Amino acid sequence: MEYLTHNEEETKKVAGEFAKTLKGGDVIFLSGDLGMGKTTFVRGVAEYFGFSDPVRSPSFTIVNRYPITGSEITQILHIDFYRIDDPSEIPPLALEEEVGQPDTIVCIEWPEKDEGHTISPTHHLRFTERENRHVITIEK
Amino acid sequence: MRILAIETSCDETAVAIVSMMDGVFTIEKSILSSQAKIHALYGGVVPEVAAREHAAWIFPLMKDVGVSPEGEGIDAIAVTAGPGLVPALRIGVELGKTLAWAWNKPLVAVNHLEGHIYSVWLNTEKPPSFPALSLLVSGGHTEFILMKDHGDYTLLGMTRDDAVGEAFDKVAKMLGLPYPGGPQISREALEGDATAISFPRPMLDSQDLDLSFSGLKTAVRVYLSEHDDISVADVSASFLQAVVDTLVAKTMRAITQTKPVSVILSGGVSANRVLRETLQSSISQLDAEVTFHAPDLSLSGDNAVMIAVAGLMKASRGEYVDPLTLVADPNMRLA
Repeated sequence: MEYLTHNEEETKKVAGEFAKTLKGGDVIFLSGDLGMGKTTFVRGVAEYFGFSDPVRSPSFTIVNRYPITGSEITQILHIDFYRIDDPSEIPPLALEEEVGQPDTIVCIEWPEKDEGHTISPTHHLRFTERENRHVITIEK
Repeated sequence: MRILAIETSCDETAVAIVSMMDGVFTIEKSILSSQAKIHALYGGVVPEVAAREHAAWIFPLMKDVGVSPEGEGIDAIAVTAGPGLVPALRIGVELGKTLAWAWNKPLVAVNHLEGHIYSVWLNTEKPPSFPALSLLVSGGHTEFILMKDHGDYTLLGMTRDDAVGEAFDKVAKMLGLPYPGGPQISREALEGDATAISFPRPMLDSQDLDLSFSGLKTAVRVYLSEHDDISVADVSASFLQAVVDTLVAKTMRAITQTKPVSVILSGGVSANRVLRETLQSSISQLDAEVTFHAPDLSLSGDNAVMIAVAGLMKASRGEYVDPLTLVADPNMRLA
């Protein structure tokens, strides 16, 4: 499925529609270059689940947690491997305690840095650009 | 009072011993894992993120800082309890708890951001007065905090997306400059024309004190994709100017709104000379007398000395925590 968006609001709208299909334990990979709208997309997913605080880039913190209520899903884990230089840096993050758990939805930016494929996605989104528009491709 | 401080909230493993007498702080020892001397002693260089394996560093650092295994001469222990990355924070927090319990000494839990703010209380004859407006800018944080007194914080605004240090690093990467991006962009900017490219000054129209740097990052990316023959120096200078203009304009707005007597610039990005000088000069042109404070360059990045100073202030107010129940808090808030 391919979506074209022109601005942040449209990206968030696509994200909201996508979020409706998610269930606990889902792991979403978001691939694409800097400034392509990956964090904006996660912001749209978090807003769909009722998280109202600002969703900030996890590039520096690596893992952000957004607590949510209203269903069996209790948190969105927003992960960014941007600063990971070596795949050996991923296991110490102890992500396996939460990734794939039925109460957690996981969004991972720069998943290709996990060269050892320690984490498998349920959905893979690719963010590219065509004629000044963001192109979001969603692979189930 | 002499305090042992431990900081492991992000990449830097740091240990320091600082004493306070009659309100004067003396740095007795301060060690960072990134210091070349330690690298030489214990082998290898620490990759940026692998430095999170603080467990490997913390005991060599404790040994190097010269702490007696019995804790002699140490009156209290301060540890960064958050915000930060959980596995990283845990190393320092668990060590602090263990030492406090084994030595039967009081333990202070320090917020990392509070540490940055207190970095300006060091090496100065005239520390800030209250109310003080603090602009904290680093790789992971960009926020305005009003300090009405020691330990009394109000969050006024913060970035809605990327921290300013992150914007520096990502723009540097787009320009093919090495990590860390801040110093690289500053160096390139010296040779560039800050008026060459008109990048946006985000959020200047909004009356609140929130900031946003994701759009500016995207504007640089779009510029780079639309131009073949670019000057790295001009892009760097124009980007830097957009960042500085935005931060300074928002700080001046915050001054108008909160009427502080001191302004504190802290965090890793406070090392940026253009930001320091522009902010200082804007503040000096105000009618009101407002003092400007920024940390020594050696204390602008993450370190344990600032945790020690914030810890000594909390200890002097008797704000101790129970070593048996303290838990690292990745989302710890100041206010």
